[in-house]
Amino acid sequence: MAQKQVIQQPGLPLSDPTQPSTTVDLEIASQWKLMWWKFRKHKLAMAGGIVVLLYYFVAILAEFFAPSLPTTYIDQYVFAPPQRLQFFQDGRFDPFVYGYGFERDPVSFKKTWLVDEETVIPVGLFVRGDEYTMYGLITSDLHFIGPEEKGQPFYLLGSDKSGRDIFSRIIYSSRVSLTVGLVGVAISLTLGILMGGLSGLVGGWVDNVIQRLIELLMSIPNLPIWLALAAVVPIDWPALRVYFMTTLILAVIGQYSWTYMARVVRSRFLSLREEDFVLAAMLDGCSTWRLIFKHMVPSFLSHIIASVTLAIPGMIIAETALSFLGLGLRPPVVSWGVMLQDSQKVGLIATSPWLLYPGLAVFIVVLALNFFGDGIRDAADPYH
Amino acid sequence: MADQTPNTEPVDAAEENILLDVKNLKMFFPITEGIFSQVKGYVRAVDDVSFFIRRGETLGLVGESGCGKTTVGRCIARAYEPTGGQVLFHDNGRSVDLAQMDRKALGPYRKDIRVIFQDPYSSLNPRMTVFEIVSEVLKVNKLIPESEFEQRVAEIIQLVGLRPEYIRRYPHAFSGGERQRIVIARALVTEPRLVIADEAVSALDVSVRAQILNLMEDLRQRFDLTYLFISHDLSVIRHICDRVVVMYVGQVIEVAGVNDLFTTPQHPYTEALMSAVPILNPRQRHLQKRIRLEGEVADPSNPPSGCYFHPRCRFAEAKCAVEKPPLRKLANQDRYVACHFAEELDLQGAVMT
Amino acid sequence: MTDPLVEIKDLRIHFFTDEGVVRAVEGIDLNIKPGKTLCVVGESGSGKSVMALSLLQIIHKPGQIVDGQILYHRGRVAGGQFSQNGAVDIASLNRKGRDIRSIRGAEIAMIFQEPMTSLSPMYTVGNQVMETIRLHEKGISKKEARERAIDILRRVRIPKPERLIDEYPFRLSGGMRQRVMIAMALSCTPSLLIADEPTTALDVTTQAQILDLMLELQQEFNMAIMFITHDLGVVAEIADDVAVMYLGNVVEYSDVDTIFNAPEHPYTQALLRSIPKISATRQPLDMIEGMVPSPFRRPGGCPFHPRCTQALASCSTVVPSLTTLHENHIVRCLLHEETGEEVPRG
Repeated sequence: MAQKQVIQQPGLPLSDPTQPSTTVDLEIASQWKLMWWKFRKHKLAMAGGIVVLLYYFVAILAEFFAPSLPTTYIDQYVFAPPQRLQFFQDGRFDPFVYGYGFERDPVSFKKTWLVDEETVIPVGLFVRGDEYTMYGLITSDLHFIGPEEKGQPFYLLGSDKSGRDIFSRIIYSSRVSLTVGLVGVAISLTLGILMGGLSGLVGGWVDNVIQRLIELLMSIPNLPIWLALAAVVPIDWPALRVYFMTTLILAVIGQYSWTYMARVVRSRFLSLREEDFVLAAMLDGCSTWRLIFKHMVPSFLSHIIASVTLAIPGMIIAETALSFLGLGLRPPVVSWGVMLQDSQKVGLIATSPWLLYPGLAVFIVVLALNFFGDGIRDAADPYH
Repeated sequence: MADQTPNTEPVDAAEENILLDVKNLKMFFPITEGIFSQVKGYVRAVDDVSFFIRRGETLGLVGESGCGKTTVGRCIARAYEPTGGQVLFHDNGRSVDLAQMDRKALGPYRKDIRVIFQDPYSSLNPRMTVFEIVSEVLKVNKLIPESEFEQRVAEIIQLVGLRPEYIRRYPHAFSGGERQRIVIARALVTEPRLVIADEAVSALDVSVRAQILNLMEDLRQRFDLTYLFISHDLSVIRHICDRVVVMYVGQVIEVAGVNDLFTTPQHPYTEALMSAVPILNPRQRHLQKRIRLEGEVADPSNPPSGCYFHPRCRFAEAKCAVEKPPLRKLANQDRYVACHFAEELDLQGAVMT
Repeated sequence: MTDPLVEIKDLRIHFFTDEGVVRAVEGIDLNIKPGKTLCVVGESGSGKSVMALSLLQIIHKPGQIVDGQILYHRGRVAGGQFSQNGAVDIASLNRKGRDIRSIRGAEIAMIFQEPMTSLSPMYTVGNQVMETIRLHEKGISKKEARERAIDILRRVRIPKPERLIDEYPFRLSGGMRQRVMIAMALSCTPSLLIADEPTTALDVTTQAQILDLMLELQQEFNMAIMFITHDLGVVAEIADDVAVMYLGNVVEYSDVDTIFNAPEHPYTQALLRSIPKISATRQPLDMIEGMVPSPFRRPGGCPFHPRCTQALASCSTVVPSLTTLHENHIVRCLLHEETGEEVPRG
């Protein structure tokens, strides 16, 4: 403008006495900051977030946190019950577990486990144990927790049918089960944004075709199609390829697949198209590309993140269910679903209920993810 | 369907001071049905509208909801692609038809015609700072070097009465009135020739409305702006406009200077509008002789025959149901009306308070 | 002075939000006279709608009536005759109790700004009007209810009510929907009708029709109307008495003539000066300085003092009390505290 004069009218906000400077923080806060402030107030979501972070942290360093390898077994300790970790010995802090003893029922010859209070197995942090190679890079035998003497029985959550440590196997499983969620959601997100964006922005027959396709996919019953696809996967495929196949199947078909994402994205584009600020940007002369990525996508990115967080637990559950039925991952891959296969026999659960612990692991992380996602969703719109 | 004779040319050929000349503008929206979106008919939102805006004047565009006034504004700003007609923009000796231009050719004219929106909450992107919002048009059109953005934005923000320090803030830090100042800053940052204000003060509090109206008038004088002021609020129209276009069901029914329109309306619908203006003095309540319009506003997808207003008009005669009255210039006056009997009727103006 | 139908005494309604306490209503004293129209005028954040909701005990969480009384004199009609039932303090009633439910809808009815959101899209107009009638008059037959519904629709000047009664709300225009809402509100002949911005979403010509209709029905049904609006034009047209609200307070209360021709509170005066007049030409409007403060930053003392041109030094600290200037004219401003007599707090 040519003139630099200020319009001096009394009482314009130039000298607004109702705005103390202490609130400046709030006024220049970006959407992410506002979201974080709001999220922080949501106690349950914060707790959920911390649990989720812990899970992923442990999963990343599974070799270190697991007391033993998933394949390590001691054949005399089959279906051994969980040991209780004792913290104090003779009045001072010195954690240990008691050893196992057993007796046979004279009539049925059934083996009954006992706690042998005579045998004390000292437990330590940062102990040497089984040797492992992490991500093919670091070779070490350092474990976060374990028996101080290698080879001693240490079953915090009991052992399975081969005498393997369930606790260690749950930790190893989390790596597979948690990443199936992430990778699966990443695939469905990419597909969903692409298809939903096309559908919402181009409209017309493109929208029509995509919407009918989504309806078609959504009306296929999940389980039978998974069964069929699982049957097609050759038995001799390497574990890694089966893993990717499983995530792909989950990402393309199912309740939390790309169809769900595509619908979220499409509806966002449709409602944003009506917003005055998008019209204003168009009248500013923005190109379609800029309109989408500068003005529209940032407005619903936080919603997408919330949807993603809420889709991950669905994926985890689906993987668990699939593997449980023997359709997804198979041994020797360890995942929570694979582990739960052992608990298919009701008789075994009656005698060895600790076989259900992988289910508890699933339960906790799914709950935590849901709380976390809810919190993000509530915080995603800091302007309402 | 009504007869299709186009309205007569309302522009005085001798008139030279015209900035924008809208001729026979049409905007039809298709009504679709079924999975495969077959077109079942059209909503004739703007149906053969002609008027012009003189340089430096404030032209009011008034009518009730659904009359097409917002659509007219958006066609001129080219948010929509008009179905037909011309929008002639005269500037610097050139004349161009904006109505039929493609998006690329429109580029240079985006900075000349700017829009102020109604809702100061939905018209500012909550994810962008004031600086980003106001400088967007400078950036995408490369109007000035990027190094000068900050100074320009700070200047314009100051001109609309906000502190220049505020440009790093997000819209959520501002009240409705302050947001509307930002919207005005965004419109004026390109030094436009024409500003389309679409219900610019309707969403604001009473005490803030006066501030924004004064600001707009002040800026108009300062920058020699021309306003197309779209509103349903007759007292605001009365306050800020020089001339007024009255619309009913997608058509212009009267164009007149603001004083003439309010004191001696020539169209029965205008008279009904004037009689509905609230009287601001309780002592003058008895002066009001309110004209009760019978029935409902016509459906723009299925308008009545002849004059669209005839089913509700208290003066309607047989001719009105058959023949559509053209918008015609009244002899020796700078006003236009679309009524067969404009000269014969003696209509009441608004009660002056 | 006629005896009031409703007496609001020192009413306070606070909203306990995560961001802090919003004092939406901060000490309102107000009388509603039987058979008269009280206009409550104020800008956004003045607390006018919240106050109206409290009369029906439909304040939603996190809002809460924290103090004050709403004395409703049941059965009192225009003319000032005393009721048999005595007064009920609505503020102290249980929100879900039997007492308030017998008042809500039947004796105090309410209509809202956007009729479409108040009408169910799933039922015909007739279903909804009949539902209201049958809810409050047990034992009425379906046929009778239908006849009553048609009758009440006719009384709100709906053309061909026999046909319209079987239509769904989305088929009606905004003005027709508002008529249906009024019909539903009137179906139990309430003694008080609360109208919260009922014409704001309507066009001027439709607004004029609805206002006329309401005044006619007021005569016919002999009810009091509390009309909430921000539009001073509407106030001038229909009010008997006017209460001007600002940030949770009634700053001035008087009859409509006094408010428009001899206002005493600086806010009322400024508000009246700031609206464009039909007769005026293009003079700059007188403005009220600044903005309505955020509800979280309610100024201390008189809440209007930061925007007041006549503010005294003490205005920022002293909360002005109600001062009666003369009969039926009460103002809450320090400028008038010495001249008038103070109203004792009930």
